[in-house]
Amino acid sequence: MSAILDEIRAAYQPLGVAVEGVATYGTYYRLRCARCGAALGCVGDRLLPGMARELVDGEMDLYAAGLAGCACGHQAERAVAIDPGRAAAAKARFA
Amino acid sequence: MASGNMIEDERDSERGERVRGGGLWPFWTQIYAEGDPLPDLSCKVDRPEYNFDEGDDLPEDYRGLLMKMLRHEGERAGNKSFLGLMGTCIEVAETLAPDAAARLIKSEYLAEELKHAIMFHRIAVGLDPDFALRDVPYAHYAFHLPKETWADDALFHFLIDLNGAFHARDWRESSYVPLRKISRTVERDEFGHSEMGYHFLRAICAERRGRALAQTLLPKWYAAALDMFGRSDSPNTPRFIQWGLKGVGNSEIRAAYKTYVDRKLVALGLDLPDERQGRRFL
Repeated sequence: MSAILDEIRAAYQPLGVAVEGVATYGTYYRLRCARCGAALGCVGDRLLPGMARELVDGEMDLYAAGLAGCACGHQAERAVAIDPGRAAAAKARFA
Repeated sequence: MASGNMIEDERDSERGERVRGGGLWPFWTQIYAEGDPLPDLSCKVDRPEYNFDEGDDLPEDYRGLLMKMLRHEGERAGNKSFLGLMGTCIEVAETLAPDAAARLIKSEYLAEELKHAIMFHRIAVGLDPDFALRDVPYAHYAFHLPKETWADDALFHFLIDLNGAFHARDWRESSYVPLRKISRTVERDEFGHSEMGYHFLRAICAERRGRALAQTLLPKWYAAALDMFGRSDSPNTPRFIQWGLKGVGNSEIRAAYKTYVDRKLVALGLDLPDERQGRRFL
């Protein structure tokens, strides 16, 4: 499973989301804000190859608009830093 | 709360029963009282009639298919990965639920899934004690998708638990008697879990930003839910049907499921995703 886990970690890292060690037995992992450590949710390690990056990219607008991610605003800030134009459009769309 | 529910609450109170989930739980009762909510999935092809009970000698092919089905089902007390999934449900509720009432409803869900773990554990012990204790992580990616918003959790329950209800509906005529015996309980419970997700989803979609959130997340869960029925051309399907372990093929049950969920999603004001978008198992 380490290859998929590496892929999941790499997909979340630019957004400032840390994939913590095992959340519960075996196959599920806790997502935390890389800045303040708040719990953000969970993910499992049986995603298909390539899926993690696709999912994170698909939800970038939600992070930018503050509909996903930490209340401290870290992921929203990261989304702006990654693609300012897309983030601005997302904020306008979800306002 | 509707006046009908209040009357029920008073009756429960008179009987000394505790009102559960703020009077909403279980979610299936009101809908089943109006009739069978799920489509007819009875077998339409000629096939031999088999009945196998616990302790019977099972044909090798039959046994293999039954075990395969139960590995996918996964809700067993001896399956540590299932208990792990339940652990994430508690964590998600703690982290993402909007209020204590929602967390309480989720606790009723967990209690009911743990009841299923006992029921399927007993079926597993009756088949193979080694299997009953085996850890079998859920293989399908639908059980591993990230949940980062309350809308993710609502969509997971509405769509993925409903998949369980459709499969349990299919077991009403199962040739494996222990499975047939628990089918109605599991079906209505899983249907109720789906309705719980729909209840949360309705609240989310009542607000414009919430509906936009649900709309953005919908393709991820919709594709996974349709994929969960397996490939339409699976070579195992005719064998499952011939042995009486399934009533209909993957494409037929998927189509019935899609008709059902599409109607409910449209009622929420959501646009339906393209049914081929993001699919891995057509």
